[in-house]
Amino acid sequence: MLVQLQGPWSLLFGRLTLSALPYDNPIIVATFIFAAIAGAAVVGSVLYFGKLGYLWREWITTVDHKKIGVMYIIVGLVMLFRGFADGLMIRTQQVMADGPHSTGVLGAAHGFIPPFHFDQIYSAHGTIMLIFAATPILAGLGNIIVPLQIGARDMAFPYMNAVSLWLTTAGAALVMISLFVGDFSAAGWVGLIPLTELPYSPGVGVDYWMWAIQISSIGTTLNAINVIATIIEMRAPGMTWFRLPVFTWTTLSTSVIGLTAFPVLGVALALLGADRYLGTHFYTAGDGGNLMLYTNLFWIWGHPEVYFLVLPAFGIFSEIIPTFAQKALFGYVTMVAATLTIAGISWAVWLHHFFTMGAGPDVNGFFSIATMLVGIPTGVKVFNWLFTLYRGRLTFTTPMLWAVGGLFLLLLGGLTGMMLAEPAVNYTVHDSVFVIAHFHCMVLMITFAIFGAVIYWFPKIFGFPLDERTGKMFFWTFAIATALVFLAMFALGFEGETRRLDYLYDTDWKPMLVVEEAGMILYLVSILYFVKMLYVSLRDRAQNRVSSDPWGTARTLEWMTPSPVPFYNFAVTPQVNARDELAWRRENGLENVKPDHYEAIHMPCNTAVAPIIGVLTLAFGFGMIWRIWWMAGFALLGIIIVVIIRSFDKNLGYELKPEEIEKMENQAELGGIVAEQPARQPITEAEAH
Amino acid sequence: MSTHHSDPLAHPEVQQASAARYIVGFGTTMILMLAALVITLQRRLPYVPFAESIAGLALLSLFSQAALFFGLDISRAQIWKSVSLVLTIPLFIITIGITVWMFNTLYARTMLPGDMMMTQPTLLQ
Amino acid sequence: MATKIAAGAETLLWHHGAEGHDTISARTLGFWLYMMSDALIFASLFAAYGVLDNPFNAAGGPIAQQVVHPLEGFWQTIAVLGSVLAYSLATVALKNGSKIGVVHGILGAIVLAVVFLGFEAHDLLGLIAQGDGPQRSGFLSVFFMMIASHGLHMVFGILWMLVMLVQVARSGFTGDVVARLLNLRLFWQFQASVWVCVYVYVYLLGGF
Repeated sequence: MLVQLQGPWSLLFGRLTLSALPYDNPIIVATFIFAAIAGAAVVGSVLYFGKLGYLWREWITTVDHKKIGVMYIIVGLVMLFRGFADGLMIRTQQVMADGPHSTGVLGAAHGFIPPFHFDQIYSAHGTIMLIFAATPILAGLGNIIVPLQIGARDMAFPYMNAVSLWLTTAGAALVMISLFVGDFSAAGWVGLIPLTELPYSPGVGVDYWMWAIQISSIGTTLNAINVIATIIEMRAPGMTWFRLPVFTWTTLSTSVIGLTAFPVLGVALALLGADRYLGTHFYTAGDGGNLMLYTNLFWIWGHPEVYFLVLPAFGIFSEIIPTFAQKALFGYVTMVAATLTIAGISWAVWLHHFFTMGAGPDVNGFFSIATMLVGIPTGVKVFNWLFTLYRGRLTFTTPMLWAVGGLFLLLLGGLTGMMLAEPAVNYTVHDSVFVIAHFHCMVLMITFAIFGAVIYWFPKIFGFPLDERTGKMFFWTFAIATALVFLAMFALGFEGETRRLDYLYDTDWKPMLVVEEAGMILYLVSILYFVKMLYVSLRDRAQNRVSSDPWGTARTLEWMTPSPVPFYNFAVTPQVNARDELAWRRENGLENVKPDHYEAIHMPCNTAVAPIIGVLTLAFGFGMIWRIWWMAGFALLGIIIVVIIRSFDKNLGYELKPEEIEKMENQAELGGIVAEQPARQPITEAEAH
Repeated sequence: MSTHHSDPLAHPEVQQASAARYIVGFGTTMILMLAALVITLQRRLPYVPFAESIAGLALLSLFSQAALFFGLDISRAQIWKSVSLVLTIPLFIITIGITVWMFNTLYARTMLPGDMMMTQPTLLQ
Repeated sequence: MATKIAAGAETLLWHHGAEGHDTISARTLGFWLYMMSDALIFASLFAAYGVLDNPFNAAGGPIAQQVVHPLEGFWQTIAVLGSVLAYSLATVALKNGSKIGVVHGILGAIVLAVVFLGFEAHDLLGLIAQGDGPQRSGFLSVFFMMIASHGLHMVFGILWMLVMLVQVARSGFTGDVVARLLNLRLFWQFQASVWVCVYVYVYLLGGF
C-alpha cells in the first residue's frame, strides 16, 4: 500500500537521520542559539522561582476559559514574532537581490538566502501568520470574552476547550520543530499543486506543513463547536439574541464558519496525504488525477477562513468604538445582519482566488458578482462605525487608535479587493505583489484589531492596565511602518513585480524596495516599544490597580465583574435588562449594587488529560512526518485509550463555598488569573444526589 | 460539570424515543431505496430523468430519517439542531453543486469531448 | 434580588441559582454540531467524487459502472439501516429504564454493523486483488476514499458501542452515560443517512 521513498529509511527512526539537522546553515544555527537561550531563560526562571508545580496546577492542566484564552494568545504572539522574522528575511533578501549585479553572501548567488531556503521562508510566513498567529489569538480572545459577555460561568465544554488549545499548540510546535529538524514546505502556504506531490517535494517539508495544519485545524473545529454551544445554551437570564454584544455575534458567526469550513481543508489535505503516503491519484498530473481539485477544495476553506479572521476583528471595533465614543453602537440590528450576511456570502466566493484557472465565463461571472456583494454588508459596517463616532465624546486611548487605524486599512484593503473581484483586472494583476499588498491590508487590519483588543481587555483579565505612553509609541511606529511597506508594495505591483521572488531582475524596483525595507526596520522598532510597554506596565502594576470598569465608559457585561476577573467569573449570575447592560445600570445609578448574598458555585476540576492528548498528538504528527510508523501508531492508540479512560472518570468537580466567594469578591486579586488556588476536594457521588 | 439533580431518564430527548416511529422510519427508507434500486436495474429511463428520480427518492428518504429517526422539529429541545441543519444544507449544495458546475465548464474548455472517451477508453493509455 | 431603579420600577439585577444549565441538551447539541462538521467532510468527498467520476479520470481503468454492484449495495443498505433500527430500539428500552433491553439493542446493532463492514471489506479487497486498487486511477482513489471514510466511521461507532456496553453495565443510567447513549444514537443514525447518499450517488448512479 505505502509508496516507495527515495533515500534511507529505518524501522526505528523512519526517515530521520543526523543529516536532517541543518547545522551547516548559519541562519538556522543563529536562530537555534537564540531559541535555546530564550528557552533556557524561561525554563530556568520557572525552576529558579520554584514555579513548576504552580505552572502545572494552575495553567497546563487548567480548564478555565480565561487561562486557556491567555495561553492561546501567548502561543499566537510567539508565532506572530516568528512570522515577522520570516517577513523581515523576505524583505531583506529582496532588497539585496535586486538586479544582476547584486552581490550574494552566505552561499547565495544573490542576497543572503539560497532559493530553496527562501521558498521555505515565505511558505512558513504565510502558514504561521494565518493559521498559527491570527487564528489562535482570535480564538483566545473569543474564549476569554464571550463567556464573560453573555454572563456564563465557563464554556459549555471546559475540558474540550483545553483539548482544543493543546491541539493548536501541538500544530504550532510542529512548525517550530521543522525549523531545526528537517525542513519546511517550499510550496507556498497554499500548497501549490502538484509541487506538493511526492515526486516534486520528496522531503519532509510538505509533510510538516500538512500535519501541522491538519492537527491545529481539528483544535479550531472543536473550539468552534464549544463557542456555538456556549452562546446557544449558556446565556444569562434576560440575555436575548438581540441583546448579545456584537463581539459575541461576530464570534458566533466566525465559529459557524470555522465549524463548516475547516472540515473541507481537512479533506483537501487528507487527499494530498493519501497521494503522498498511499500512492493514490487525487491530484497527480497523470493517471486520472486532477490538480485543480486541490485548489478548489483548498479555497472552499480558504475564503471562508478570511472571514473567519475578519469577523472577530469587526466585532472588536464594535466594542472599542462605542466605549470611547461614549455612545451606543449605531445601527445594532444592521450590524448583526451585516455580520451574518458576510458569513453567508463568504461561502460562495472562493473561485476568485483562481479566476485564471479557465473555468467558463458564467462561473467567473457568478463568483465576481458574489465577491462584490461582500462590499455591501462591509460598507454598512463601516458607516455604522462612522455614525457611532459622529458627535460622540471621543477619547483617543490606545485601543481607540488601533480601531480607527484599522478602519483606514479596511478601506484601503476593501477598495483594492473590489478591483481584484473584476476578472479582467484579476487576469492582469494575478500573482503580482499588488494582490499581496491588498490582502496584507486586510490581515493587518486584523492585527490592528488584535492589538486594540489585547490592550482594551488586558486590565479586565490582569487587574492593571498597559502603559498608555509606550502603547501610543507602539501604535504610531507600527502604523507608519505598515504604510511604508504596503503602499510601496502596491506601487511595485503596478510596476509588475510578481510574488515569491528570491531574485528580482528589474533594478527600477530598487527605490520602492528600499522604502519597504525601511518600513520593516520601523516594525522592528515598534516591537521594541511593545516589549517596553509590557515591561513598564508590569513594573508599575502595583500603583495602577484598576476597578471593575477601568475605562470608565465601558458598556457590556464583562466589565461588571471585579478586575482581575475571578476564576468563577460572576459570583451571582446577572439578570440582563438591556442591550448594553452596564451602560443601562450606570444611567440608572445601579452600577454599584452588589448581590445581597452568595450561594455555593459548582466548578469543574482541572485535568491532565488535555495536555497528555496534546503531547500524544505531537508524537503522532512527528511520527507520521518522518514515517516512524511505530511512534505514530502508539501515539494514535494512546489517544484513543486516554479518551476511553477519561470517559470512565467520575470526577464531579468541586463546590466553592459562599464564604470563599465573598472573600474573593472583596479582594479580587485572590481569585485573579495569576493567583494560586488552594487544593479543593472534589465532591462525592453521595453529595451530588 | 456533570452533576444532575434530576433523573436523566426524564430528559425530553430520552422521552422522545418511540418504537413505532423508528419502525415506520425504517420501513419508509427501505421502500424508497428498493424503488430506487428497481428503477436502476430496469434501465427504462434515460439518464437525466433517471438521475433526477433516484435523487428525489434519496431526498425523500433523508427527510423521513430527519423527521422519524432524528426526530427533528421546532420544539424547545430540538430547535437548535433543526436550525443548524437548515443552515448547513445550503453549504452542501454550494460545495458539491458549484464544484461540479465549475469543473464541467473547465473540462468542456480544456479537455477532449467526453463522448470520445466513452467509446475509446484506450485513448489515454 | 429586586432593586428600585431611578424611574421607580422594581427590577431584578442578580439571579441566584441560574447557572444550572441543561447539560444533556448542551452535550447533544455540541455533538450535533460536530456532526454538521463531519457532514461537510462527506460533502467535500462527494464534491471530489463528482469531479473525478469522469472517464478522463479513470485513466483507462474501470469506470464506476464496472466496480459497483447496485444489488449487493442493497444488502448493505438493509444491514446498516437494520443496525440503526436496533440501536434506536435500544433507546426505547432506555426510556423504559431497561438495562437488558439497551444491551440487547446495542449487541444487535454491532452484529449488523459487522455484517455491513464484511460486505464492504469483501468488495474493496476483491477490487485490490484484481489490480484495481486505489493506486490504479484518480477515479478509483476517490471511490476507495469515499467508501473507506464511511467504513472508518462505522468502525469507530462499533468501538464506541463496546465502551457503552461496559459503562451501562458498570454505572447504570447516570447523566453521563445517558448523554453518551443519546449522542451515539445521533452518530449511528448519521452513518445511515450518509450511507443512503453513498448508495444512491455511487452505487445506483454509477450502476446505470
